[in-house]
Amino acid sequence: MNSIWNNCLAKLENEISSSDFSTWIRPLQSIESDSQIKLLAPNRFVLDWVKEHYFVKIEDSIREFSNGTMDLNLEIGSKSSATPADAIVKKISKPIETKKVGPSFLNKAFTFDNFVEGKSNQLARAASLQVAENIGRAYNPLLIYGSSGLGKTHLMHAIGNAILVKNPSATIVYLHSEKFVQDMVRALQQNAINTFKEYYRAIDVLLIDDIQFFAGKERSQEEFFHTFNSLLDKKHQVVLTCDKYPKEIVGLEERLKSRFGAGLPVSIEPPDMETRAAILMKKTAQSNINLPQEVAFFIAKRIPSNVRDLEGALRRVIANAQFTGRDITIEFTKEALHDLISLQDKLVNIDNIQKTVADYFKIRVADLLSKSRNQSVTRPRQIAMSLARELTPQGLCAIGDAFGGRDHTTVINACKKVEELKKSDMKIAEDYENILRSLSH
Amino acid sequence: MSKQLPLQFEFRANQTFNDFFAGSNLEIITHLQNSIKGAGEQQIFLWGDQGLGKSHLLQAACHQAQSIKRSSFYLDLTNPTLANSSILKGLDTLDIVCLDNIDCIAGNNEWEIAVFNFFNRHRDSERTLIVSASCLPNELAIQLPDLKTRLNWGLTLKLQPLANHDRITALIFKANQLGFEISPQVGLFLLTHYDRDLSALWRLLAQLDQASLAAKRKLTIPFLKTILDDAP
Repeated sequence: MNSIWNNCLAKLENEISSSDFSTWIRPLQSIESDSQIKLLAPNRFVLDWVKEHYFVKIEDSIREFSNGTMDLNLEIGSKSSATPADAIVKKISKPIETKKVGPSFLNKAFTFDNFVEGKSNQLARAASLQVAENIGRAYNPLLIYGSSGLGKTHLMHAIGNAILVKNPSATIVYLHSEKFVQDMVRALQQNAINTFKEYYRAIDVLLIDDIQFFAGKERSQEEFFHTFNSLLDKKHQVVLTCDKYPKEIVGLEERLKSRFGAGLPVSIEPPDMETRAAILMKKTAQSNINLPQEVAFFIAKRIPSNVRDLEGALRRVIANAQFTGRDITIEFTKEALHDLISLQDKLVNIDNIQKTVADYFKIRVADLLSKSRNQSVTRPRQIAMSLARELTPQGLCAIGDAFGGRDHTTVINACKKVEELKKSDMKIAEDYENILRSLSH
Repeated sequence: MSKQLPLQFEFRANQTFNDFFAGSNLEIITHLQNSIKGAGEQQIFLWGDQGLGKSHLLQAACHQAQSIKRSSFYLDLTNPTLANSSILKGLDTLDIVCLDNIDCIAGNNEWEIAVFNFFNRHRDSERTLIVSASCLPNELAIQLPDLKTRLNWGLTLKLQPLANHDRITALIFKANQLGFEISPQVGLFLLTHYDRDLSALWRLLAQLDQASLAAKRKLTIPFLKTILDDAP
């Protein structure tokens, strides 16, 4: 049997534009009693808007379908299951009687087993494993920093999940820094700041993601500073992630910058092509999908930026293969990723590689194309050739041509040289990664 | 140049999957329907030129969600009345959230951070997010790298424009849904003389229906020419 509200919805759907109906009316969740329909709006903004623009219409409909027996009551709320944020607030709104395991918000899908190790993340993974095995004693805090989409959050969850396996009663909480701020604001509004403090200071392992979002939020920084010190004093573990080295965060207090960097800061770099291919193979193996190795390398070569982009591209290929029932071949993958690849080609081509490299080394593009054998020019030229080989679909001859008409063997030698230097010279390795990162975003 | 009909008519058609002419976009509908049922991708990024039906599909997604008793929210980010990003608060408790025209918040720091925070909460709750834009995530002028990489994370689908013969079929299909008939010749005439943007064409059909009812005449090319002659 149709509820009164369903009848109202069917009526209102024909009276209000589809767009407005989908924004303001459809999301209202109803709770019907004998004399009243309570409609729950997801937030204050929606509530106020509905009250101002649709209250009369809705009330008329309810009267019509209930023969005037029901009233309308509009409130903020939701019938859906609680979100992690709600659970935290619920927990902090009650005094903590004894130390018990609260909601950890860990994503069980992120483990060390399915984290693909490569040169770019070796150190971060090793440090994370150490932390998981020696809580509060190995590195405290552990700070993992690097660009977006490289696996920082994965490692953080992996630490939490590994600790839970060894010690199921450990109190572990993963949260995004914004959630910490949000909880604190709610606690202040509800006069529950002491409960908030008790809750966070009783945690065994606190995993806070993206601490750069604390920038400019002084009250939250203050509170976090004390939480942080309290946990460290008790030898409880703190793991943090950040998109840059904390000293580089504008709007973060000096004392926090210094405390964050006091344990072990480890960077995580964009994965090299082999690691990218390995990530793709692992992801598909987990889903029992057969991804030929040459296809994995093809995608890895064409999507050089970060793991999220890589996963997005893989999703596209798999979804398209499942829909069409076709085998995943290189030809098929080229079709499925046609738009992404075209965009990548537009964003990363030999011209902008030359320009980016020239800007980075403060030389002119004309120098890269010149016959100069001065090392201040040859090294950037070799790096630019190597990047062109890694990031573009161009062949050796075309790359040589684009660098002042050089032979393809010059390009081969440049690529070999750069590979050797990346292993023996940290500075060159860093320069290469910096340029790669800048080209990939 | 396309002409405007001299008729006032507010187009109110319900947007559902049934009244979307898919053409070569059947794969998109399949993925959207699976996600709404909770059996598909958690995040879909739908992109394509203006007027291809992105908004229609997002609203259709909400319509389908309602039919299976899942909660949903549709937010058109071009809507200037929604200048306040606090509208995103609490939406992470809803099963399906559709953010239409995300291009409009690119470069707006407050909105970018609000969408990023919403994204994290919503994803952690394992709920479904459908986003639309006119281009791929990497082409958007979004300044917050964390948001951009997250938009790339899900399944990205491009809405293809309808081929000419599909457009005529689509016009006939849409007219049937509105309860009248047009011939392929009338369809071709409309495509040649009016706006080729699909949403504009649907509005036009609804206006023509009203005009033909008012004049008690069938929709023929001579009748259309009469209306056109009256247009300013």
